[in-house]
Amino acid sequence: MAKKQTKKETKKQNKKEKIDKSKKLIEALKNHGAQIYEDLENGEFPKFSIPNRSISNIIYDKKLRQYILGTNTSLRSARNSSQLRSFTQLLWLAFFANKLTHEKKSSTLRDVYYSSQAFAIDFEDQQESDNIIVDLEAVLSQPREDFFVFPEERSSIFGDLTIEYTIPGYEGKTQNLSSHPDGYAIGPSMTSAELSSTSAELVIAIEKGGLFTRFVEEQVDKKFKSIIINTGGQAPRSTRTLLKRLHDEMGLPVVILTDGDVYGEHIAMVIKSGSANAAHLRELTVPDAKWMGVWATDIDKFKLPTIPMTESDIKRCHDLLKDPRYQEGLWKRELEVFTKIKKKAELEAFSKYGLNNITEKYLPKKLEESKSF
Amino acid sequence: MSSKEKFNQISPSEFFYRNRDLAGFSNPTRSLYTAVREFVENSLDACDHSGILPNIHMTIKAVDPEKPDPKQYILTVKDNGPGIPSQHVPLAFGTVLYGSKFGLKQARGMFGLGATMAILYGQITTNKPVKVKSNADGKTRFDYEMLLDIQKNKPVILKKQETSSSEQGLSVSICLDGDYAKAGTKIRDYVYQTSLITPYATISFDDPKGEKFHHKAIIRSMPPAPTIISPHPYGIDVETIRRMLVDTHYQIPNVDDKMIEKVRKELGMAKKKFTYNEIMKKTEKKWKSLTRPVRVVIALMSFLEADFEKLKRIRIEDVDLRNNKLLYWDYSTSETIAADMDVESPYYKQLANTVQGESLTQFLTKRFQRVGPTAAVEFCKFAKFKPETRVGNMTDQELVKLSDALQTYEGFRSPDPTCLAPLGESPLEKGIERRFDPDFMAVIQRTASAYSGFPFVIEMGIAYGGNIESRGTTVYRFANRIPLLYDEGSDVVLKVVKDTDWNRYKVKSDSAPLVIVSHICSTRVPYKTVGKENVADRPEIEKELRLALQFLSRKLSGYMSKKGQAEAAKKRANLYSKYLPLVAQFCTELSGKKKEPDYQKMIKEETAITNTDENKEVEKNG
Repeated sequence: MAKKQTKKETKKQNKKEKIDKSKKLIEALKNHGAQIYEDLENGEFPKFSIPNRSISNIIYDKKLRQYILGTNTSLRSARNSSQLRSFTQLLWLAFFANKLTHEKKSSTLRDVYYSSQAFAIDFEDQQESDNIIVDLEAVLSQPREDFFVFPEERSSIFGDLTIEYTIPGYEGKTQNLSSHPDGYAIGPSMTSAELSSTSAELVIAIEKGGLFTRFVEEQVDKKFKSIIINTGGQAPRSTRTLLKRLHDEMGLPVVILTDGDVYGEHIAMVIKSGSANAAHLRELTVPDAKWMGVWATDIDKFKLPTIPMTESDIKRCHDLLKDPRYQEGLWKRELEVFTKIKKKAELEAFSKYGLNNITEKYLPKKLEESKSF
Repeated sequence: MSSKEKFNQISPSEFFYRNRDLAGFSNPTRSLYTAVREFVENSLDACDHSGILPNIHMTIKAVDPEKPDPKQYILTVKDNGPGIPSQHVPLAFGTVLYGSKFGLKQARGMFGLGATMAILYGQITTNKPVKVKSNADGKTRFDYEMLLDIQKNKPVILKKQETSSSEQGLSVSICLDGDYAKAGTKIRDYVYQTSLITPYATISFDDPKGEKFHHKAIIRSMPPAPTIISPHPYGIDVETIRRMLVDTHYQIPNVDDKMIEKVRKELGMAKKKFTYNEIMKKTEKKWKSLTRPVRVVIALMSFLEADFEKLKRIRIEDVDLRNNKLLYWDYSTSETIAADMDVESPYYKQLANTVQGESLTQFLTKRFQRVGPTAAVEFCKFAKFKPETRVGNMTDQELVKLSDALQTYEGFRSPDPTCLAPLGESPLEKGIERRFDPDFMAVIQRTASAYSGFPFVIEMGIAYGGNIESRGTTVYRFANRIPLLYDEGSDVVLKVVKDTDWNRYKVKSDSAPLVIVSHICSTRVPYKTVGKENVADRPEIEKELRLALQFLSRKLSGYMSKKGQAEAAKKRANLYSKYLPLVAQFCTELSGKKKEPDYQKMIKEETAITNTDENKEVEKNG
């Protein structure tokens, strides 16, 4: 009973936080608008100060255990004729984000690109509008999801978790995420929903849709009291936000299961400590998340069929060896083994020993192991 | 052995007939074009040299328009030039190698061969006579119809007619196999480009399809006519020197009655009979006033101790300076007699000088341009010849040495360009302006230079924008006011243009509307082929072309950067006018204000700033 009470309180607190965050965002946008208005009134050229996102200004913060931006900022001024266009684009996006946040309407990256055309804002292609979106993220230090801009969805979730929608038209409606075996897409309505209750004690993030379906079939959710999330390769930001919330709000440990190669290892690392691309953002990481496998050492241990690494695989290994996050422990050890054996194994490789080998044999073993690190 | 038969002599016309490819008559397309060129250029040359503003009318008519090309065409070129005196017409148009263009001055054609070649080609392909109408005095016109006897190199006159007419000029009409369908573009280009480089000429052309092209003269003054001059030491070979020596060599005067009369007259002893001693006495008194031939005759008389009577009876055979003997034939005794010559005698020197020719310094100063007495002496020092060396006495080896030294000596002044007739900067500019009405244009006439002893002048113009429709660099090549249309790729001008790094001059050479007009004037343009279509890359010419192009490119670059700045300023002003209203709109909505901020003054300021920037730039350059 007491526990329930605590949860309710957390919920309330979360709600409040969320409204605060939204208010803060709207406030920030308004302030920027007012500053620019004032500049124009005074006959001065307005400007944005944008944290510099170039490689030289990205540093690894050991304390935060993620990449962050340094103190360098660049000015984008309306005075500079070569910056005037992108200045206007950025201001327009702030204006557009303000509208989305007020109306609580979501927009995809592609939507943004097309919406701009109604305002004579000429983005050359979506790449350009995507870059401006990242600029605004950096200016506001908030992810685009906060101002209702989302990427296309490709990841999904399954398991005993009840959520309560907050988006217009669905407010108060609840949903249990174990009712549909194909899982639920992780979109704006999911990430903005309240996480009401769960019986799960664990979150398993898995890299591949095929394995996700297998896990549902094999009732991994029940057998291991877990929520299963398909990241669909490199986890999108919405998924990482959800993972973080499941960990922070519901107190669930997160384990990650990927292919046994250098890319798999890095998928786990990004969930744990973020990406350089999103160094301007915080609160997207789950520093306590654990990479469960497939490790390089597992390949030999479980006698998995392998594929030789390609040139680019090997290059990627060497690139990551220089990354500060790979300088110690498990991460360093496994990466070095990959680099040495020049072989990789996919999750499906366990099928050699039977379709349920991975859930029956490998998963329990690794879960047990993971408790110790 | 019948090898003798192989050495049958052929006449020049037969030679050209066999080698007509060389002269540009290889096929109906090329032949029609070449024929047009030859006649038009002859007309222009004739007008130029007589100081007449040319008015040339050309027609090409198909004999049977229904037939497909290649077919017979009648080509007529009529001019308002000096015409050709009646008696010269048959030879001028009926023989090969008859012409008036053998002197050293700039002309479009070299020896007037081309027109005869065209006539010959017409005759070979259609067997029709050439029709020439010439009016040289503005009173009478002579009409000829002629064929050319190829073997004998002689005209065969079929018809001759006289009519009175006040219209001076020449009209030539031939019938020939041609392909206008294919040659038409080139011929129209030729006519149009000729008008570009000859802006003082009116040229009209009625083509076989009934189209009329009329290019009116845009200036009323001609460039100064070229003069004939003696050769420059550079570019002289041994053979030329030998021929010049023959000219300078004073022949032993032919002592005939006429000559004797002359001697008597100069001595003032015309009537009576005089003794040898009386003649010699008189000579001493009058020596200074005597002409050179007379002095020579008297010198001869002194050694023969002859009076006028004796002189009449003999013929001088040889002056043998080596043995100091004078050989003569005596009519009265019918034998050759050798008389001794006294080396000490004052007359000896007179005679020796005559036979040995001029001294080397005299020869150089008199026979060549740009060689003064000082230069001649300096040259002799350089070439290790004694200045007083008699050119008549020089051996073959010495002549070779002389010729070589003339090539390598660097002290001669550069050739005299008065034999050249460049168009001039202003007419060139007008020609370009009429055609292209460009946004920017610059012309330059370089000072005269020389290659191998032949003087040349480079004129060049550059034009940008305006009516220039082509994109990329178009080069119009001219040599001695002739457009060069074929074999563009191998021309030295093209090479120079291609070698230029246009980026340095802020020009995108593959997309800019750029025209370059290049004109080379020379007493001898170094064509690569007989077809006269491309200029060979002599280093001296290449250098001049390069300098001319660099000068023009720099001017163009100045224009381009000014243009670039103006465009950038305009672009910037446009940018502010476009984006500032948007900025105002968005920030108003974002900040929740009702009224938009007043940003108009900022746009105005920004445009004003760019304007003053521009003005400053103009002043700086002005």
